[in-house]
Formats: sequence, C-alpha cells, structure tokens
Amino acid sequence: MPKARTGPKQIIGVTMMLAFVGFTLLPIIWALILSFRPTTHLFEPIWESPTFLTLDNFNTLARSDFPIALFNSLVTAGSSTVLAMIIGVPAGFALAKGRSHRKFIASWALLLLRMAPPVGFVIPLFLIYLNIGLLDTWAGLIAAYMVLTLPLVVWSSWTSLAQIPDELIEASLLDGATLFQTLIKVVLPAARPGIVATAVLAFLIAWNDFFFALIITRSSTVTAPVSVMNFVSYASVDWGSIALASVVLTLPTVPVIIFANKYIVQSMGGAVKG
Amino acid sequence: MQDYVGVQPVFQRNYNRMLLPAVIAVGIFAVLPLAGMVALSLTDFHLINGWDKEFGLKNFIRLWNDRRFMSSLNVMMLLSVFGVIFQVLLGLLIAVGLEKIVPKWRFMRGIFVVPFVVPAVAVALIWLSLFTPTLSPINAFFDLFGITVPAILTTQYGAVAAIVIADTWASYPFVMLLILAALQGISGDLDEAASIDGATKMQIFFRITLPLLKPALLMVALFRFIETLKHFPLIFIMTNGGPGRTTQATNYYAYIQTFQSSNVSYGAAIAVFLFLFAAVISFYVARANMRISDA
Repeated sequence: MPKARTGPKQIIGVTMMLAFVGFTLLPIIWALILSFRPTTHLFEPIWESPTFLTLDNFNTLARSDFPIALFNSLVTAGSSTVLAMIIGVPAGFALAKGRSHRKFIASWALLLLRMAPPVGFVIPLFLIYLNIGLLDTWAGLIAAYMVLTLPLVVWSSWTSLAQIPDELIEASLLDGATLFQTLIKVVLPAARPGIVATAVLAFLIAWNDFFFALIITRSSTVTAPVSVMNFVSYASVDWGSIALASVVLTLPTVPVIIFANKYIVQSMGGAVKG
Repeated sequence: MQDYVGVQPVFQRNYNRMLLPAVIAVGIFAVLPLAGMVALSLTDFHLINGWDKEFGLKNFIRLWNDRRFMSSLNVMMLLSVFGVIFQVLLGLLIAVGLEKIVPKWRFMRGIFVVPFVVPAVAVALIWLSLFTPTLSPINAFFDLFGITVPAILTTQYGAVAAIVIADTWASYPFVMLLILAALQGISGDLDEAASIDGATKMQIFFRITLPLLKPALLMVALFRFIETLKHFPLIFIMTNGGPGRTTQATNYYAYIQTFQSSNVSYGAAIAVFLFLFAAVISFYVARANMRISDA
C-alpha cells in the first residue's frame, strides 16, 4: 500500500472531518454544560462564568415526577421488548429458514408496519382505550408499543438468523430435537450478538417514543420523554432540568454505542450485504 | 440437498407454528387498529359531538379542498426532501472519510454514532435551546464579534431549516452506518486494479465506489424519507407547528385535527392518506432490499 501523502487534499479531508466531529459533539457538550448550570447564570455566555456550576438541577429532577416517569418508561419499554422477543424471534426463525413463497409479502408487510404513521395506530387505539379503560395504564401502553417493537424484532431476527448455517440446524434435528428446542438450544446461542442487538434496538425504539405516550398516558403512567415537557411551562422554561433530563434519557442508549457494530447495522437496515 | 432417512431437511419442516403467534399478535396490535383507522375515515365521528350516521368518502373529498392540508403536504415535502438530501450527503461524506481519507480515524466511528442514540425528545430540546437566542452559545459567540444571529424559529423557512438541521444531526449516523457496511462489502481489489491502470483516487470514487454504493444509497434514502414523513417530536417541541401554521407537516396536522379539534374521522382520513403514501414507498424499499440480498 502506498504511503499517504500530506497534500492539500489530505488537509481538506482532515478539516472536513474535524468540522463534522464539531457538529456532532458540540450539541452534546452544550447539553452537558447546561445540565450543571445554575438557573441564575443560564443566560450568561459560558465563557464569562465557566466556574458557576451546580448540582441543583439534580435536586429539582429528583423532587419532580421524573424518577417515576423513568420507572414507567423502563417497565413499559422493557415489557414490550420481552413480549416482542418471545413472539417475534420464532417468527423471524421461521422466515429465515422455512420454505415460503410469501417472503416478499412478509418483508413488505414488516417494513410497512415499521413505516406506517403512528398517528394511524393511535387514533383507533385512543378510542378503544377510552371505552375499555386502558387509557393511562401500563397494559395499554405496552400493547401500543408492540406496534413499534414486534415488526422490528421479526425483521431483525430474520436477518440475523438467516446467517446461521443450515447444517447446524439439521444436525440438531437429526439428534431428535424438535424445531423449537433447536431454536432455543442451538440457533439462539449461535446468533447471540444479533439477538442481543435486536433486543437493544426494540427497547430503544419504545424507550424513545414520545407520540404514543403523549396520547395514551395522562398522569400516573406518564413516561420520561413526556414528563420532560413538565419543565416547559408558559411562565418559564427550566432549561437546566430539561438538559439534565435529556442527558439522563440518553444514558440507557449508551450500550448502542458500545454495540455499534455490524449487528446493529444489520438489524436496522435489513440485509445490506457486508 | 442431501436426504436423511426419516428426517426432513431443514427447509421442509413445518414452521407454521412458529409463525402463528406473531401473525396473531400483528393482527391484534397492528391490523386491528389500522382497520379501525380506515373505518373511522369513512364515517363522521367527532370526539365531542359524536356520530353522524353518514358513511362514505366525504372526508377524502374534504381533504382535496382543504388548503391547510395542501400546505401541510408542502411542509412535509420540504422537511423530507431537504432532510434526506443533507442526511445522505453527510452520512456518505463521513463514511467515505472514515474508510478512505483518514482510515486511521476509524476508531472515531463511535463518536459519529452518538447523535443516533439520543432520544428524539432530547434532540428536539437540545436544538430548541441552541435556537433560543437568549440562551444559545451560538448567539453569544457571534455577539462577541458584534454579529446578531437572527432567531430562526420565528420565521417560516427558518423554522423549517431548524427542524431539518436537528433531524440531520440526529439521523445522519444511521446513513453513515449503513454506507460503512456497504463500503466494507466492496472488494479492495477493484480499487487496486483501477489504480494500477492509472486511475486517480477521485476517478476511482466516482467511477467505481459510487456506482457500487448506489443500491445501498437508494435504500437508505427511501428509508429515511419515510421516517421523515413521521416527524412529530421535533415539530411538537421546537416549533409547535408555528410560526402560525407554517411547520404543520401532514402527520402533525392529523394530530391537530384529531386531538385538538376533535375531528377524529377527518384525522383518520389524513392518516389513511399518509399510510397509503408509506405503503407505496415501502414497496420499493422491500424490492430494493430483496435485490441487495439476492445480489
């Protein structure tokens, strides 16, 4: 391989990349700074009083409904992920290894479900929930989140289980295991990274939801993303708490960065050959 | 395929039982609400005034004559087209940069993934704070040089641009990751052969790499296009549809009609329209995806 020369093109390339790093990181750094700024100095440029930092926002956040909302988010996103994995992974296995002529239809249907506007699901759900008393309940929100998580789980376990060699499954079947036993004992352990990535993504998509929770929850089951809006009122906006809440909301998503490898890519976009 | 005595090969096993729970669940959680949406769109239901017995395409005819709906389509297309262009460009540039220009920086891939994992609500709030003149460090910085940065959220196209910027920031990593994966699937031999033949790096990129990336680029662009049609938190938090009604994209307009004006059936009709739109585009995504997998 020829050694890279340091020419004007190289310099332009490096400058460009540095600019992109800046664009990417500055808003994050800004949110972190804002989280530690006291309300009294919020509207001063940070370089005029860089040492005025405080933990007050943590207190505000702890005393608000935000911790309960975090718990609600954890329960609803977690439950719907578990449910979607139990129902969806076998379906992904069937689509990956079964002989079906309807695979194109299945992939289109899954994509369509992932891409359909949430407002279309929410309107009828809202009316149904209103009538059967599921508004502002965990169960109602978990059921609504299945719309988000299930298609994702089926799609993404389909792509990752397709890479398991048929010989492995056949050997297990030859040993007398049923299809289901084969899935649990042979296929899933062999496909662990892809399956973990699937679960992480399913959790995130429910965790990040704002729209469903905005419509379906009222008070006791408000999730964290909706609860953040409590810091925005007509009178004032508590920017410090908002920034801190945003940072806290982002923390559970950190595993994605650690897992940011080919499994996540496959799960997100489908079978892009790599 | 080799046949085993007494054991069916993998492909001939009956997988229906594995598929069934998911089919039922999709029926209950997804198809049922969608059927409800279609049914509602054909009736006339108002959240407070209740039912009107009429049944028909009235809501869709009303859509056709609704100027607010037409302008919402306009906003939606602005947000989607510009959003997708910037996201794909930025994602492509960074992916190519990481692979070809500064390969030593490949470890920085993790940095570029960060915005992707920030929840939409946090994205909206962070960018709202950056676009709030009294608070923003951008304004404070330019004030040092006596330059006043305008409050872009108060102007029509400024507000559209603000949403596009926030969306681009949050979504280019998705594009980048997919293009990185596609780039790694392209054999280095091609580059080498071309460079032996005397092709410059630029020529290699535009004549070899880019054409090979085309299917992946097309798919990721379509994918992002559909996602941008569903903009909600960014609009709700950053502009609230304003100034005036200038950033009420169609999805947001459906929300307004249903949950603020209580016109449930009319909102459902808008949702049906959006759904059909997404159905057409996702058909092409599915087809593009099949082609890539079969290649």
